[in-house]
Amino acid sequence: MTSRPEFSAQTLSVLAALCDQPSQWQHGYALAKQTGLKSGTLYPILIRLADRGLVEACWQDEPAPGRPRRHLYRLTSAGLASATGALASAAERAAEQAAAERAGAGKPRAGVRPRPAARGAVAG
Amino acid sequence: MSRLNRMMAAAGRSAACLLPGERRDWVAALWAEAHEVPPGLARLAWRAGGIWMLTREALMPRRLGRAVVFAVAAAAAAWVAWPDSSILHADADQFGVIATVLLLAGMPLLARRFFGPVSDSRTARFVRVGGYAAILALIPARAVVGPYPLNVPRRGPDLRVFIADGNSIHGMPGTSAGGPPWPGEIFFLTLTACYVVTILWLTSRRASAAPATLAVGTGAGIVFGLVMYVVAPLGLTQYATNPWLPGWRVDPLVALAWILLFGGPVAAGVLAARWYCRRPGGSVKLAQARAGQGIVAGVLANLVGALFVTVLGTGTAALTIEVARLRPLVFHAPHASEAAAYGHVLHASQHIQTYVLMCVIFPIIGLVMSGMGMACFMPVPRQSGPQPGPAPEDRVPVIS
Repeated sequence: MTSRPEFSAQTLSVLAALCDQPSQWQHGYALAKQTGLKSGTLYPILIRLADRGLVEACWQDEPAPGRPRRHLYRLTSAGLASATGALASAAERAAEQAAAERAGAGKPRAGVRPRPAARGAVAG
Repeated sequence: MSRLNRMMAAAGRSAACLLPGERRDWVAALWAEAHEVPPGLARLAWRAGGIWMLTREALMPRRLGRAVVFAVAAAAAAWVAWPDSSILHADADQFGVIATVLLLAGMPLLARRFFGPVSDSRTARFVRVGGYAAILALIPARAVVGPYPLNVPRRGPDLRVFIADGNSIHGMPGTSAGGPPWPGEIFFLTLTACYVVTILWLTSRRASAAPATLAVGTGAGIVFGLVMYVVAPLGLTQYATNPWLPGWRVDPLVALAWILLFGGPVAAGVLAARWYCRRPGGSVKLAQARAGQGIVAGVLANLVGALFVTVLGTGTAALTIEVARLRPLVFHAPHASEAAAYGHVLHASQHIQTYVLMCVIFPIIGLVMSGMGMACFMPVPRQSGPQPGPAPEDRVPVIS
């Protein structure tokens, strides 16, 4: 029985986006564009990751003129280790699933009845 | 579109106040990031996501749920208690109902500013919810009992009983015989506010009352309230007024009630202080904290006891007024006539006001007795000369 993955698919996509440049601070909108997640999904994920100490957040020191300060995010060292491991595990699972699907392509699909043999063949 | 964006921004900022401090930063972050999103639908969708985040956050549904439950309970209590406009003094009664509900709704917001949020323990939440439930239950009970002794009955035998009981008639039968109840209403509202503030403070994070302290105080208070209710289920007179127990059987309970009134705060205080820190002596700060816990337990014991007996007694009187069939049962007079039963109810309803005296005096007695108890049994050592700093295990918050 395979164990339940620690992170959801959306969380993994956020971790992958943060892993691309682990030492760089990133903005929320940039992460949203990279992952394709909406703000209502992205920010709760960032909150959970920050609560677990995997992501650190801070406010921008010098905002652009006429704009409010932006919140910046990056992985902590613990977060980088967790993200690396989780992404590797996810890649393994994806590879296993792809292999299983390829192997299963030659077998009859479940739910498809085999054709009955001809009557003459059975009687004879 | 820009107006909608501005409205959504304002709504989000207002709703963010419902979240705790550490979560508000995230909402502010999301809102600030909206300026980077291209204006129009994209920015609207970004802010809509923020509203969704607010509602999805784990704390939000709980707060909203509690607010909804309170709103429903308060609306039900107010609806039951709402006096008919044709009754004299209806305006004072209506003011009392509205003001009490507003007090209960608004006081936690004010208390949060000065006392901080509610303490993390389940006991603190239970005490707060229980206190609120008791005060809400009192609203309809008071509305039934309060004007009852002043309402001149219509029927002949009841009218004779009314006059024979010492009530003079200032109005026509079917109307009220009393004067304007505004001073009484203001006084009762003030008393309610004091109770609400005390309960909110004792259960707040800043008070630092230990869960065991709250548990001991509340438990002692419930026991005391039950004993008082058995002694005087329908208010106090010069003699015990329990209709079910003859005089000699109620005497031990009366003695127990006196013991609990004065000794209960001392016992609760000592128990709470010992539970807080079993090790005797220790630093001055620890001893002060321990004494503080004891005083909180003592005050709570008598405060909860007074509130408990008031709710039970007023509720019992209200039931006998509303349900005529209960009167012979409650007054232990199954063969009494309707007029006699009415006389019992009238007599009892006039003494319900003694519960108000209990609500004023009992917590004061609790404070004095628990303070004396702490001084006798948990004295704070005198600080002579330079004291070493407290040991790590002694660093406990002191009740401010």
